[in-house]
Amino acid sequence: MYASKHVGLNVAMDPLMTASYTGVTAGFVIVVCDDPGMHSSQNEQDTRWVGLYSKMPVLEPSNPREAKEFVKEAFEISEKFDTPVILRMVTRVSHTKQDMDLGERIVPEQPPLEKNPAKYVMVPKLAYKKHILVEERLNKLREFAEKTSLNKVEMNDTKMGIITSSMAYSYVKEAYPKASILKLGFSYPFCDEKIRKFAKSVDELVVVEELDPFIETHIKAMGIEAKTKDPSFMIGELRPELIKPLINGEKKVEKENKDRPPRLCPGCPHFFSFNAMKKLDLFVAGDIGCYTLACLPPLQTLHTTVCMGAGVTFNEGLRKANPDAKIVGVVGDSTFVHSGVTGLINAVYNNAKGVIFILDNSITAMTGGQQNPATGMTIRNEKTKQLDLKALCLACGVDHVDVIDPVKENKEFEALVEKRVNQDALSVIIAKHPCKLIKNLG
Amino acid sequence: MSENKTYNIVFGGIGGQGVLKASEICGLAAMLAGYSVTKSEIHGMSQRGGSVESYVRFGSEIHSPLIPAGCAEYLVCFHEEEYPRLKPFLAEDGRDYVSYIEIAKKSIENPRTLNTFLVGVLSASLPIDVEFWMAALEQVFPEKIQELNKKVFLEGREVGTK
Ligand SMILES: Cc1ncc(C[n+]2csc(CCOP(=O)(O)OP(=O)(O)O)c2C)c(N)n1
Repeated sequence: MYASKHVGLNVAMDPLMTASYTGVTAGFVIVVCDDPGMHSSQNEQDTRWVGLYSKMPVLEPSNPREAKEFVKEAFEISEKFDTPVILRMVTRVSHTKQDMDLGERIVPEQPPLEKNPAKYVMVPKLAYKKHILVEERLNKLREFAEKTSLNKVEMNDTKMGIITSSMAYSYVKEAYPKASILKLGFSYPFCDEKIRKFAKSVDELVVVEELDPFIETHIKAMGIEAKTKDPSFMIGELRPELIKPLINGEKKVEKENKDRPPRLCPGCPHFFSFNAMKKLDLFVAGDIGCYTLACLPPLQTLHTTVCMGAGVTFNEGLRKANPDAKIVGVVGDSTFVHSGVTGLINAVYNNAKGVIFILDNSITAMTGGQQNPATGMTIRNEKTKQLDLKALCLACGVDHVDVIDPVKENKEFEALVEKRVNQDALSVIIAKHPCKLIKNLG
Repeated sequence: MSENKTYNIVFGGIGGQGVLKASEICGLAAMLAGYSVTKSEIHGMSQRGGSVESYVRFGSEIHSPLIPAGCAEYLVCFHEEEYPRLKPFLAEDGRDYVSYIEIAKKSIENPRTLNTFLVGVLSASLPIDVEFWMAALEQVFPEKIQELNKKVFLEGREVGTK
């Protein structure tokens, strides 16, 4: 099983696209959670398209109980059709707890490791043959979609029929308890016949889905007439009270977000690092972690955020376009290990200059305090070998690497930043001070 | 438990106040009492002082984990500044616990037990026996602070009963 949020799957797209061709030896389920409403994400991408793009089946549970059941189904589909299966979640499914009965745990037999190049060596000639099988597989999955109880019709009043999936189903049930519903639990490939039959059995057909018009686009291509949402509903997450205006074809009324913004904790080591950068009025290429919060007042000392690793690569790119600007990059310890180091190698290789700050708080704080290779502990909090960030940066070939505590050695830190910023060199400053939450996180 | 009713409770405050712990206790107690429960929350930013809210629903058929505006029978607000944002959740005849923040602050010695006190107050109006609340407190808190939290809970419960 693989699990990540939507942007995590983006990073895994390269192997994913070809894993669709190789198929599997034993069940392989890809659990991916989208974040409509961006509760803690940088975009609202809709991962259902990945199913269409990679030619793999997509299952969409509408609550935690179903999520548990669907995992089992997904493994069975994976083995039966020799395909990875995407279990597409959304924040409100993943961040909901529900009472449920646990089933019996079945531990399958470990299949032997066999050499099977026709299946696993995706050189062009072999991959071509596999692509033929992938298209055949899609057709078989289409047949399966017609039969599976994952796609469920609930016939009630035939005046209005609603096609829906995922959490949107739960909201529809709340807002229209009497409507007829076609719930797509197996949402790709589509069950065209079932959809057609359902459409015929109701006076008016409506599609209710969160984010992109994934179902809508398909059924319109089938030539089926359906009432669909105003495009304003493609943005943000749905709520039960939004279902009626959506179905009525109204434009979404944007409400001002009155939520209190998050901020760096009192005494956060990141604050000290950014304070030094603020004093020098630098342009700071940012990354994704707690330090992203430095974009907000009072610091306002972080000027770009796109994806993990961009703190390093944006420094290089921005400097190319703006040779005279005072530009630096920041990245966290976890993010540096994840995808910062490749950018650093690239910067050295291309003879780029600048200062990269690795804000090493010895934890992955933003996401709740997970360990990472630079902390010396495994994700299960057991001791392991610790990645030496300084040695790694030196090995990449940067000109200067300093390890310094921005809190305890604040004066020296500020002096060092000023010195490095004014040198014509590529430097890394590892600002090392543990996160305030570490003892609470444990 | 035979009645055919859904209980809708909204908890809200700011990160660090124990809002999620409060809703966890409530959801667990309801589950232990035999109800079907959903509990929804967003905790991405909760440790960093942002707005936090959590919804607990228990009883008969529940679909949405979110409680629509105007549909919460109970609103447990932990911070006056968050109140204007949370008020629209409350049903017209719903119970509003905002006035208990002041009472709680006067009653508790350790400000970190605000959440437990407010859950205690709420518990007095919910059809869940005290034994299930106690069991939930035991599951949620580490042993060394269980007794303190049970005490604070019962003080809150007493205030809520009045
Ligand atoms: C590709 C991708 N995977 C996962 C995430 C989720 N995520 C957000 S911040 C973060 C890590 C932050 O850790 P670190 O860089 O050490 O900074 P800290 O929060 O500790 O300051 C992760 C994994 C993401 N945004 N993008």
